[in-house]
Amino acid sequence: MPQNWTIEDIQNFLPHRYPFLFVDKILSIDATAGKAVCAKNFTINDYFFKGHFPGKPIVPGVIITEALAQSAIILFSQLKPEIARRHPDYLLAKTEMRFKKPVFPGDILLMEVTAIKILSNAGIIGVTAKVGDSLVAEGILSFGIVLKAAHE
Amino acid sequence: MKIDETITNTVKKLVMDITSLPEDKLTETAKFVEELGVDSMMALEIVAATEKKFRVVIPEEEIAKTRSIGDIYRLLEKLLK
Repeated sequence: MPQNWTIEDIQNFLPHRYPFLFVDKILSIDATAGKAVCAKNFTINDYFFKGHFPGKPIVPGVIITEALAQSAIILFSQLKPEIARRHPDYLLAKTEMRFKKPVFPGDILLMEVTAIKILSNAGIIGVTAKVGDSLVAEGILSFGIVLKAAHE
Repeated sequence: MKIDETITNTVKKLVMDITSLPEDKLTETAKFVEELGVDSMMALEIVAATEKKFRVVIPEEEIAKTRSIGDIYRLLEKLLK
């Protein structure tokens, strides 16, 4: 497990790339407690603000959900490193999200993800997203893990 | 610990909430996947909800062996000893 995560470390575990990589930084990971905190910085240069919405840029809820799901993969990679090393496909299976406040360009999204149940081939993760001390979204995400050889 | 009716009713309700299956289909031997159409993510939700409700940890190797609601009762009997 990297001590100080670089963007290369993040990309080593997350298959996502521009324009769909939504984790900029890992702030902490506690594998024993099954918890990680990650950050995403939104800027007015992000491509989706052009259409969401013209003249009134707001981060789409689906992007917040995706950022949290990617944070959940980072957590999974540290709880099941032997699976993550094989670079499986991570497939989102269910989202139960509640959005409390809008997120704007310039906001730093702090994402806390906590394992509810992690298996080798699936996981359920409790997620919260904050801007500063303010809760902007929370929910539960479920995902499945498919090893490449399994569907070749 | 022998499983009493309160526990079996709690498990049944929890499975019904997740799967939307009617109570009469949830016989002790009906197979979740083959007979009741429960998918793997629903099964994981049942595991997580059972763990939370009864404050137990269900080991991964037991999950594959748990194929009916009767199997959940027997597993809880073991875990709640």
